[in-house]
Amino acid sequence: MKKLLPLLIIFVILGISAIIFVSMAKSEQPLTIAKGNTEMKPLEFKLNFTNDSHCKMLIQHKENSLEVATPSGKTWFFDDPACMVEWIKDKPFKDSSKIWVYTLDTKRWIDAKKAWYGVTDKTAMHSGFGAREKKIENAIDFNEMSLRVLRGETLANPKIRKKLLGN
Amino acid sequence: MSEILFSNQVIIYLLSESTLFFLLLIASIISVKILLKWDFNSFSPTQFKLERQAYLVSTITIFVFLVKFILLIYFVFTVDSLSILVPGAMCGAGVITANEYGMVLLGLKLLLIFLLIFWFFLHFYDTHTKEHLYFKDKSWLFLAIFGFVVVELFLDFQYFLNIDTHQPVSCCSALFGQLEGANPLPFGLNIALLLTLFYLLYILVLLTLNLNYKVVYLISNLLFLYIAYYSVVYFFGTYIYQLPTHKCPFCMLQSDYYYVGYFVWGALFIGTFIGMADVLSSFVIGSTNLKYQKLVSYLLSFFVLLCSSYVAIYWLKNGVLL
Repeated sequence: MKKLLPLLIIFVILGISAIIFVSMAKSEQPLTIAKGNTEMKPLEFKLNFTNDSHCKMLIQHKENSLEVATPSGKTWFFDDPACMVEWIKDKPFKDSSKIWVYTLDTKRWIDAKKAWYGVTDKTAMHSGFGAREKKIENAIDFNEMSLRVLRGETLANPKIRKKLLGN
Repeated sequence: MSEILFSNQVIIYLLSESTLFFLLLIASIISVKILLKWDFNSFSPTQFKLERQAYLVSTITIFVFLVKFILLIYFVFTVDSLSILVPGAMCGAGVITANEYGMVLLGLKLLLIFLLIFWFFLHFYDTHTKEHLYFKDKSWLFLAIFGFVVVELFLDFQYFLNIDTHQPVSCCSALFGQLEGANPLPFGLNIALLLTLFYLLYILVLLTLNLNYKVVYLISNLLFLYIAYYSVVYFFGTYIYQLPTHKCPFCMLQSDYYYVGYFVWGALFIGTFIGMADVLSSFVIGSTNLKYQKLVSYLLSFFVLLCSSYVAIYWLKNGVLL
């Protein structure tokens, strides 16, 4: 029996290694952060397989989603402008990062700071802020949108909702 | 000043840690002096005095080791008891993540317990040699431990001073349960493979322990500790709580679960720490045999049996698994 033990150990080690390597090879986990984007360009991501870095929900729609790309090459993803504003407010790279938003009207990535935001749109976190490239009536700019998010003046706030939608 | 500091448990804990720190400070000053002047072949009064002082340092370290061990349990108990003061916290998981110092502090405390066990091994071997062959090794280790204790005391105060009782924290379900589809397990494992790995590693630890394959034993022990943590949090824990969605390493420390967490984590950490310290000290002294094979195998077997029995009892009672 004692002679068989070393053989048994080899089999157990092989089994353990096989489990770890096979699991690592097939592991495909939701994406939360992308690295290596030093050009700070908007990245394509897989819907329902990418987590919002603030609310942790899976991003289900490309429209109105956002990306924050930092000079270090890291990129974070968001499903709603309000999530991005809440998340980035105390980050050291708040001013140096590039923020992209996928617009509702022109369906392309544009600089989120140059976009116009509707206030009564249907959005992932019910903030109401839908990003557009072209200005529409009552649309607000990035700074105003950020201010309203930080003040809690989004459609998720019953008072604001009643004021803007009447219900 | 943080309201947390008015908690009885926190006051007792911080006072005890500070007292231990001052004891270790005295011992470390003496240790440096001993390390600089130690010459066992000398018969001078200075060497005689140093040997007596070395005995004092050893006594202090053994005392600190025992108290640190009790204080680690008390720290976990304190953190758990603070969950009634911190909004949002349901157990120690929320309180320990209330600021950035908590998890680092807990990790450091575990590392210190491991280093103290390692020191204890070296001390044991050293006192069993006539010439105190490992005296310098254990003294250097003691100074390293003291360095970590300094950091630990700093983190202790930073942690408790920075717990905001007005700032809501996440409860364990938010921290460990709701991951929005993300797989929290290492190496991309699923639960079935995690459990296979858990039992295979347990077998590997026992086999390598019996055959004295020290390097493989050390690695398998470390890997077992890692995999066992995830197995308890994401599988065995759900049977302790009898709730498939309840995934938390802290709730099992509460009275609702008969404090079983202390036995689960205690057996795992002490078992693996003794095993690893045994191997490392055998490398230092050049010994071929491991000394505490039985103790390690008993502790790890108790851990595996305890975890597995929760699943078995649940299945026997209900006829299904969670």
